[in-house]
Amino acid sequence: MRKFGFPSQRLFAGFLFFALLASPSLSKANAEENRAELIVKKVDELYRATTSEALVEMQIITPHWQRTLKMNAWSEGMEKTFIRILEPKKEQGMATLRIGTEMWNFLPKTNKVMKIPPSMMMSSWMGSDFTNDDLVKEFTFLESYHFEMTKPENPEDDVLYVKCIPKEGLPIVWGHIIVGVREETYMPLWQKYYDEKGKLVREMIFKDVKAFGMREIPSVMELIPTTKEGHKTVLRYNEARFDVQLDQETFTLRNLRKRM
Amino acid sequence: MWFTIKLAWRNLFRNKRRTFIAGTAIALGLASMMFTDAVMIGMKDVMIRSATGSFLGDAQIHRNEFRLTQEVEKTINNPDRITANLQKEEIVDRFTPRTLSFGMITSPANVSSVLFIGIDPETEKYLSQIDDVIREGNFFDEDNERDIVIGSKLADILEIGLGERVVITVSQAKSGDLSQEMFRVSGIYHFNIKEMDSGFALVKLAKAQEMLGIGSNVHEIAIKFRDMKVSLQEDNPFWTKYSTDDNEAVSWLTILPQMGPILGMFWISLLFMAIILFGIVAFGIINTLFMSLYERLFEFGVLRAVGTRSSGVRRLIIYEAGALAVLSCLMGIILGFIFIFIVTKTGIDYRGIEITGTTIRDILYPVFHIQQFIIYPVAVFVFTMLIGHYPAIVAGRMSISNALRKSL
Amino acid sequence: MLIIKMAFRNIFRQRRRTILTGLSMLVGFTLAVIFIGWGDGTYNNIIDEFTRNRLGHIQIHEKTYLDRPSLYKTIQESDDLANILDSTKGIESWTPRLFSAGLVSVGEKTAGVQILGIDPIREDQTTQFDKKILQGRNFSRIPSKEAIIGKGLAQILKAELDDEIVIISQAADGSIANDLYTIIGISSSGDDISDRSSFYLHLREAQELLVLDGRIHEIALLVKKLNHVLKTNNLLASEINNPDLSVSPWQVFAKAFYDAMQADKAGSYVMLIIIVFIVAVGVLNTVLMSVLERQREYGVMKAIGTKPKQIIKLVVIEVTILAIICIILGSGLGYGANTFLSKHGIKFGEGITYGGMKFETMKAEINLRSFLIPAVTVILCAALVSLLPAIKAARTEPAKTMRFH
Repeated sequence: MRKFGFPSQRLFAGFLFFALLASPSLSKANAEENRAELIVKKVDELYRATTSEALVEMQIITPHWQRTLKMNAWSEGMEKTFIRILEPKKEQGMATLRIGTEMWNFLPKTNKVMKIPPSMMMSSWMGSDFTNDDLVKEFTFLESYHFEMTKPENPEDDVLYVKCIPKEGLPIVWGHIIVGVREETYMPLWQKYYDEKGKLVREMIFKDVKAFGMREIPSVMELIPTTKEGHKTVLRYNEARFDVQLDQETFTLRNLRKRM
Repeated sequence: MWFTIKLAWRNLFRNKRRTFIAGTAIALGLASMMFTDAVMIGMKDVMIRSATGSFLGDAQIHRNEFRLTQEVEKTINNPDRITANLQKEEIVDRFTPRTLSFGMITSPANVSSVLFIGIDPETEKYLSQIDDVIREGNFFDEDNERDIVIGSKLADILEIGLGERVVITVSQAKSGDLSQEMFRVSGIYHFNIKEMDSGFALVKLAKAQEMLGIGSNVHEIAIKFRDMKVSLQEDNPFWTKYSTDDNEAVSWLTILPQMGPILGMFWISLLFMAIILFGIVAFGIINTLFMSLYERLFEFGVLRAVGTRSSGVRRLIIYEAGALAVLSCLMGIILGFIFIFIVTKTGIDYRGIEITGTTIRDILYPVFHIQQFIIYPVAVFVFTMLIGHYPAIVAGRMSISNALRKSL
Repeated sequence: MLIIKMAFRNIFRQRRRTILTGLSMLVGFTLAVIFIGWGDGTYNNIIDEFTRNRLGHIQIHEKTYLDRPSLYKTIQESDDLANILDSTKGIESWTPRLFSAGLVSVGEKTAGVQILGIDPIREDQTTQFDKKILQGRNFSRIPSKEAIIGKGLAQILKAELDDEIVIISQAADGSIANDLYTIIGISSSGDDISDRSSFYLHLREAQELLVLDGRIHEIALLVKKLNHVLKTNNLLASEINNPDLSVSPWQVFAKAFYDAMQADKAGSYVMLIIIVFIVAVGVLNTVLMSVLERQREYGVMKAIGTKPKQIIKLVVIEVTILAIICIILGSGLGYGANTFLSKHGIKFGEGITYGGMKFETMKAEINLRSFLIPAVTVILCAALVSLLPAIKAARTEPAKTMRFH
């Protein structure tokens, strides 16, 4: 399998989701039935941001190796993304530009810009545990699922559980997803992905709430594929800014070639 | 002359045992030759089918360059016209359209690259053996557009079973936009060949076309001929007829060129073996004839003694050889027919070989061919007659007293 | 023994009859020997050509690699292993290989490839890699950022010799592997499909690229005698004695091919049966005739007091001795013919060169069964068939048999 895709706007969509979740202006819905959808609606709306800029650290753990990548990432809407890798040394200077469905990589070692064929975009993201499912989605979360409140066997205090069931006919592999959020703040705690047989296949855990400018969000996302032993990916947001004015030059091939 | 012929026949039946032994030997030789011929024809068919029968087909039509670049946009030009023509084509037995593209298949547990194939189940089942090796589920028996059939190894890799969800991702023609759809596994096949069991995902044609954004076009039409030897005939007009409009029609040999030399080697080797076989048979005839004639030298001596001329004796012997030949050939034809017929019904089963799992077995059927009933008997007849000349001349030339003294 | 002496004398007494009877056995036997030798020879020829081309006769991998290949399932290169490979009996040559997947780019075009790290010298010794190179040349001995690509790949990338080619892949330590190479050769392996994605690098450079120093995925080796593949395989496995490695013969790693060959072999069994049948018929026929027509002789013998049992013995022994003489002579002829055919073979057409495989001549093989099967057939037939008339001869009354017929 080819292993080289670079983070897409999805990451930042997810990122922004948490960024705006912590907004104190959220009001609680009254009806149970609407609450689930409301929670997710808020979540979904948080995907949309005009621009963002962030300093991100990604730690990938596999049974064979462990690495931590530090990168600078910019995004504009859902369309444009630009990432520059800062560390480790071997990958320093590598950059990726994505505009719509086109993607280019810049490799400083060979000084080449390589266009990634569309078919290659559906691959594991830098050897991490994020799959193409996370990379390419036409539909938003809200449009893709039915939502209902639910309670597990031993519910924790202070936690709300939303069950998300994929709408029939959509290209989703999951049987269902359960989202756990803090009752008071709707701050997400974790997302659990189940296959149709009811087996837990993937888990995403949110930790370390921090303030980034005006927002408070979990700064750490841990993705654990429960069926693959020894694999984990941890995304950490060290710095972030939103809805800022970005240099138009950012999302160009020229920027790709620029050596830091 | 007629008298001599009558005499020849009578002589033949006088010593039934000798005639029977000699005749049977020659007859069996002839029957074996016919049988071998039939088996060789059948074998060629089996060999070809083993290469093409599982999926490839005898021939395929594509757009030019599709085979090389595998670009989604390169669909066959004028598919409707081609289809209409193929329907009318005498030499074509069946054909089926397919879309072919590489894509990704995702399950909750895993993701894998796969050859994504859109098929028409009705016509596909005549061309590929996938429907024959379905291990679980079925081959598109339901009319569900979200059915997908995958191989057993792929199912393992994806940790997925019947009825479960997978998502297929392919890139569309022209725009390159990614297209994703959800399918449910409706059938799992098992060839017991790793590559085939892990490489394919089949869905209904319409759905594939929709995902690829190619309208009603297809990438490939796979064809099965009534006589598969057509696929080996380079100069058959079929190829040029369908290689127009920037399309190409090629036989499986072009698609799998590495099979060519291998088949060639096999064929020549078989030919050589057949020659040896015929050599043995020929020799058997010589031997038989010589023995049966030589041991009767005394008899011919008597004939000479009572006044038959050398030429007469020669002729008698030759006619006897001829009569024996006719008798043996007749017997041989009947025996040959029986042998071939019986094995045609039972087939030669390749036991204990797991080529394509337990449901498929390559059975070798000998094939009747008119040449077996004409060429070989004629050859045997002529040969026997020719051989008969030698003892004929010897008997004609021998001095009478020597002949009378001779016994084998 | 008197009977044996008599048998011998009888044989040489009636030269013509003996020659005719004997000839059928001799010719039948010899041709059968050639038939089997040829059949076996070509069968092995084909296997040899096919496996020598790329796969090798035996392959060594990490024990689960064949079932589910993975970048991480590697074999550690070691002098010990190399020594074992060099010294184990029956091994002709061996070559190490490294595999991975990647994305290459030439100018604006990109394509997915399989990366193959090879040792140029050993690879050439084992699979004649040099001959597969259509344009350009093989790798320099010292790794020099060179790459060889399959001809299909060259077409897809519109690449030519001396073009620069970039590769990107994931290394074994998770880092992004990428580098720049010069295309110094374009190859054709005979398998068009794999040529579309073949990207060869010098083994050392591939190891460096993928951060797999000192590690390989596969060792392919050739054995001296194809017939001994299984034996050599097991010998090697026990010499290596490492439970983490699997040593597999071509029948295992090229299973589909093996199955196809088995199927064809079954086909030629049919031919073999037919030939044995014909030989049997020939022997039966002539022996029967010769014995039958000597009824009178046996009648005379009985008349002078020979016991029936002795007659039977005499007949059977006579025929058997003749058979043995024919087998000996036939073996000589057959051996000569097969030896000639195994050295020179038969050329067909102008031969077909295909991806380094040369299909020109097909050779026979000298092996035991090509002599054994015909020998057993001839002797058995001869002995059995002489029994019946012998018994008959022994039983009839002398008066009857001595009459003219």
